[in-house]
Amino acid sequence: MNILELHDVSFTYPSGTEALKQVSFSIEEGSSVALLGSNGAGKSTLLDVLLGMHPHASVTLCGKPLSSYGRKEVGRLIALVPQSEQFNFSFSLLEYTLFGRSPYLGQMQLPSALDAQIAWEALAEVGLAGFEERSITSLSGGEHQLLLLARSIAQQSRILLLDEPTSALDPANRRRTLSLLKRLHSRGKTLFFSTHDVNFAAELATHVVMLKGGRLLASGLTEEVVNTEMLTILYGTEMRAQTFDGHTLMY
Amino acid sequence: MAMVMATLLFSLLSLFFGRYPKPGFSVPLDWKSNALMRSILFNVRLPRIVLALLAGSMLSASGYAFQMLFSNPLVEPGFLGVSQGSAFGAALMIVLGASSTVAVQVSATAFGLLALAASYFLARRFRFGGWLLRLVLSGIAVSAIFSSGLAVVKLVAEPTKDLQDITFWMMGGLWNASWGQIFSIVWIVILCELIIISQRWKLNLLSLGEKTSFSVGINVKRDRTILLVVATVGTTLVISITGLIGWVGLITPHLARKMFGSESSFSLPASMVIGAFFLLFSDTIGRTLLPTEIPIGLVTSLIGAVIFIIILSLKHQEGKV
Repeated sequence: MNILELHDVSFTYPSGTEALKQVSFSIEEGSSVALLGSNGAGKSTLLDVLLGMHPHASVTLCGKPLSSYGRKEVGRLIALVPQSEQFNFSFSLLEYTLFGRSPYLGQMQLPSALDAQIAWEALAEVGLAGFEERSITSLSGGEHQLLLLARSIAQQSRILLLDEPTSALDPANRRRTLSLLKRLHSRGKTLFFSTHDVNFAAELATHVVMLKGGRLLASGLTEEVVNTEMLTILYGTEMRAQTFDGHTLMY
Repeated sequence: MAMVMATLLFSLLSLFFGRYPKPGFSVPLDWKSNALMRSILFNVRLPRIVLALLAGSMLSASGYAFQMLFSNPLVEPGFLGVSQGSAFGAALMIVLGASSTVAVQVSATAFGLLALAASYFLARRFRFGGWLLRLVLSGIAVSAIFSSGLAVVKLVAEPTKDLQDITFWMMGGLWNASWGQIFSIVWIVILCELIIISQRWKLNLLSLGEKTSFSVGINVKRDRTILLVVATVGTTLVISITGLIGWVGLITPHLARKMFGSESSFSLPASMVIGAFFLLFSDTIGRTLLPTEIPIGLVTSLIGAVIFIIILSLKHQEGKV
């Protein structure tokens, strides 16, 4: 079953910049989809469109137009892990993770003990158990990324959108994030993530969507689409592949 | 709870601070038989105390809301030109010879809202930076315009009467407090406070990045606009009676966050209680310390600046407020 579908989606910013041009593809429930493309290819705009920030009648979520959903309904179905988040107030880790429960709260409702339990479990899931009362302003880059993931896990959505989840991570934190996302995917969560890390995409994604200049270059199964020829066209620079220790690395 | 009790207790004590029957603190045991004392207690001091509590809590709630909505702990209600707009409105009405204080109140409120609307629509027209930056820039521009207007009004004001009234209004004061004035604003101010309190969870979310707020189910533009208008209406109504009172909206959210953490469920109501106490304390000092009354705006500025310096000088465990 397709959980998200795009039909001829185009988007132009008020400044006149045409960011997306007739993009069409679908995402199967439970799949893990990598969005590849060079800088300015329209990846961030596409994530915004999928999140509903630019209402578009040609995007369907669970068979219904995305624009027909209420904000909280979308929040229960789609969670976002931004590339980074600027923290200007020193919330505790637990408080910040609890913000992920907001789509389930009424207009004036505060989180319940059950919500706190879900947030606590989300922190434990990402390996931040025991740091619930720590301030979010004291986190390292890797912990920061894990916290963003914890909030999205607490949101208990069916789809997780991730904007370059490993862009600021060292190899150890990259590996932690990868294994965490694999675990979430194995439990049936649909992942859709943009990345410049082709090898990360190859390890995690079942499917790949390639954007070039706002247009869809290719989409399909990872093993069918990700090859040196396609990547060379995508990035406009020669890409090579080498098998090492049983893994194919592209560079 | 302890803070609420302390504020109520200080309110009771403040009733007995004054210059009659003798300067300083005195409990007049003959108040039942002394008509003048009764009138001073219930028609002069009590309205001042009620107004101080109402204004302090409202300015504090507005300051807190502005700081969260702009994700900036250094913001206060005058941020979008509201204070300067209100000051211009009040000064204009004084110079035009308005005989009633209601006319000054209405004008101050109307121009405060006009400043907010001008800042908002200018920000929509600007083609530079993100939404928050555009609002900041338009707020600076609108403040400057109303400041210039205010300077012109002061220039043409009649120096022995109007100019003095304008100057005192600019410094803030509760000496005009009356039950009539309080009843003219109390219902809307309390409504504004209740709306802000009821939306305190959303304030947390609106302090995050726009995409994050959106992704957890918040209608960012709508909710931010509603809360901005509510905070501005409450502020302009209060300062239409009290004149400009600085620092309450800036300093009390900082104190509350220091004591109760950044999450708004506790720190917003705490900030309002602290604001009420702070303004009442400042007013009590202002009206009893010297033989002549010190405008409350001067007292809040002095105390607020000292507290601000102390907060910023303290060693921060976490680096941010």
